[in-house]
Amino acid sequence: MLAITVGKAAIKINRLTGSGGSSFPGLIAKKIDPDILQRLVHNNFPRGIVVVTGTNGKTTTSSMIASALEKADIDFVHNKTGSNMERGLISTLLEKTSVEGKFKADMGLFEVDEAYMPAVCRIIKPNWIVVTNLFRDQLDRYGELDRIAKSFRDLFDDLPQTQLVLNADDPLVASLGYELESEIKPVYFGVEDYIGPKLTSDHTADSVFDPFTQEKLYFTQQYFAHIGKYRGKSGGFSRPKPDFRANSVKQVGIKSMSFKINSQKNALKLAVPGLFNVYNALAAYSLVSVATTVQSDQLAEVLSGYSAAFGRSETIDLEGRSILMLLIKNPTGLNQIIQTYLLREKSNLLVFAINDNFADGRDVSWLWDAALEDIKAYKGKIIVGGERAADMALRLKYAGIEDVLIEDDMEKLVEAIKANSSKRSQVFLLPTYTAMLDLRSKLTAKDKAAKEYWQ
Amino acid sequence: MKTIRIAHLYPDRMSIYGDYGNIVALTKRMAWRGINSEVVMVSEGQKIPKDIELIFIGGGQDKGQVIVAKDLKQKGSQIKDLVEGGTPLLSVCGGYQLLGEYFISSEYGELEGIGLFNVITRGTRTRMIGNIVVQSELFGELVGFENHSGATEFVGRAHPLGKVKKGYGNNPTEKHEGALYKNAIGTYMHGSFLPKNPLVADWLIQRALSKDGEVVGLKDLDDSIELMARKSSISRPQ
Repeated sequence: MLAITVGKAAIKINRLTGSGGSSFPGLIAKKIDPDILQRLVHNNFPRGIVVVTGTNGKTTTSSMIASALEKADIDFVHNKTGSNMERGLISTLLEKTSVEGKFKADMGLFEVDEAYMPAVCRIIKPNWIVVTNLFRDQLDRYGELDRIAKSFRDLFDDLPQTQLVLNADDPLVASLGYELESEIKPVYFGVEDYIGPKLTSDHTADSVFDPFTQEKLYFTQQYFAHIGKYRGKSGGFSRPKPDFRANSVKQVGIKSMSFKINSQKNALKLAVPGLFNVYNALAAYSLVSVATTVQSDQLAEVLSGYSAAFGRSETIDLEGRSILMLLIKNPTGLNQIIQTYLLREKSNLLVFAINDNFADGRDVSWLWDAALEDIKAYKGKIIVGGERAADMALRLKYAGIEDVLIEDDMEKLVEAIKANSSKRSQVFLLPTYTAMLDLRSKLTAKDKAAKEYWQ
Repeated sequence: MKTIRIAHLYPDRMSIYGDYGNIVALTKRMAWRGINSEVVMVSEGQKIPKDIELIFIGGGQDKGQVIVAKDLKQKGSQIKDLVEGGTPLLSVCGGYQLLGEYFISSEYGELEGIGLFNVITRGTRTRMIGNIVVQSELFGELVGFENHSGATEFVGRAHPLGKVKKGYGNNPTEKHEGALYKNAIGTYMHGSFLPKNPLVADWLIQRALSKDGEVVGLKDLDDSIELMARKSSISRPQ
């Protein structure tokens, strides 16, 4: 009980001082009571717990799920500020708990960092685990991809009551559903056909081998990186047939996507662009379909009205300029942004802001794996900022792009953005995580930013 | 002028942490000087062409290393002959480990190396991660980022690439980083190693061009952005 009281007090103090560290209360509460997470979760979610994990798309997928749950009037708890390690979860739950330790919600919806996922899930024992994809991401923090996959497999063997919702088009993720000891069959989602822009210098395919035999997989479709339709040797591991399929996937402008789910008559319009967002929507659709009674037409309606999650992609007005801020954290994510926004881009201002703090990933060598050669045709001005601005400039130089303005100071970067773009123009701003937080507060009025952060 | 052929070994299994940047650095720095180059991808089961002027092998995950170690049994003596004949080689992280005597992986046991470098590597529980700065007799200050749990040490006389000024290097205690044998380099500095250390890139290129005995000089390039990136990398904490 002390842990709850102190934790809740910490939330209040945090708000009053405006420091905004959303995982701090959880950290304190856990110090006092190491089992606090289990106590906060136990028997508190009669309609079940959902965990969303994977390298890319966790936040978008879980916020799409949240939109559907809201629409269906399901009372749920969601860690939605991207605070996705154990202490962030504890902070989220403390908010919903009264000082007497009483709690009320039907469902729990938690986005969990893949490195912490096995430990967290052993405590909270979710009913469903959604795995979006697995890519090399911040290996300095997480260790190698195979090790992550192995830790997932070991976990799933310990959770026979948990249903998995898996990306059939990511071989490593799909393989997690094979030879499972679970009593419940996993659910797969996948894209059947996609017509749209593709990259010419994609070096991000990580899992092109059969995870069991290490033999090369044969891809009949490779949409991006190692995501696509593939098969292995006969009798061995192959792409599972998806239970939820997206057909006729098309990009409409730079703002939306159109596709059909399970060959339904009406195409679904997704109000966010990019093939990766189709995967996020499919993951959300699959989960909501198996975990709730929300009807498919209702779900389609929710997804059509969905607007981007915190910081992943948002538009900020800067004295008349429309700044589209797109978080980047690994080569796959950056490639998808290039594929979605920059391949046909000719003239607008493009800004990279690269930091190398812990939350960004200390290692910036991933920039070399991204398909920056694909923006060679880009004719607009490019500015690079952040602590590792020079690394980005160097990467661009070797991609054949030399006319780049370097500005490592963030205040000056904002000034440079203003100086190099006209009013009413579109600016593409691609920051790493801590650069995003910094720029976001510099670009938006401080009170407005704070309000959204505490939603 | 003839085309410089680079053998990129196991590109689909041993390419991690921006290894691609090393190939880009080599080919671009040649192109900027009007030197033609060609990258030949060599996977397991495939032969290294005879007329090769430069060899590169990157890092990988332990699982991939098991397969590569097995395949290197076929290629080992050819690689060693090429290096004895003066062919320059760059190996990074996992590739470097497999060019040593052996690597004991914590998960997969002993993997035999080809013995090009007189080093052995043992998997440990410590992950050696962070920015690294090395002082090398041949190249001066080298900068990079390391991320490995294998601890490497020399058997017999040590021929490191340099001494560690910041970071771990081969292992947490000796302050040695990498290995140097003839024109072959092994290092734990991954990813953008060659772009940020243009002297090493140019040394490899120059050795490749001079392989047949005639010493070829290289035109200077404008490396001001390279210098800025080195500076910011050196200024960051480990």
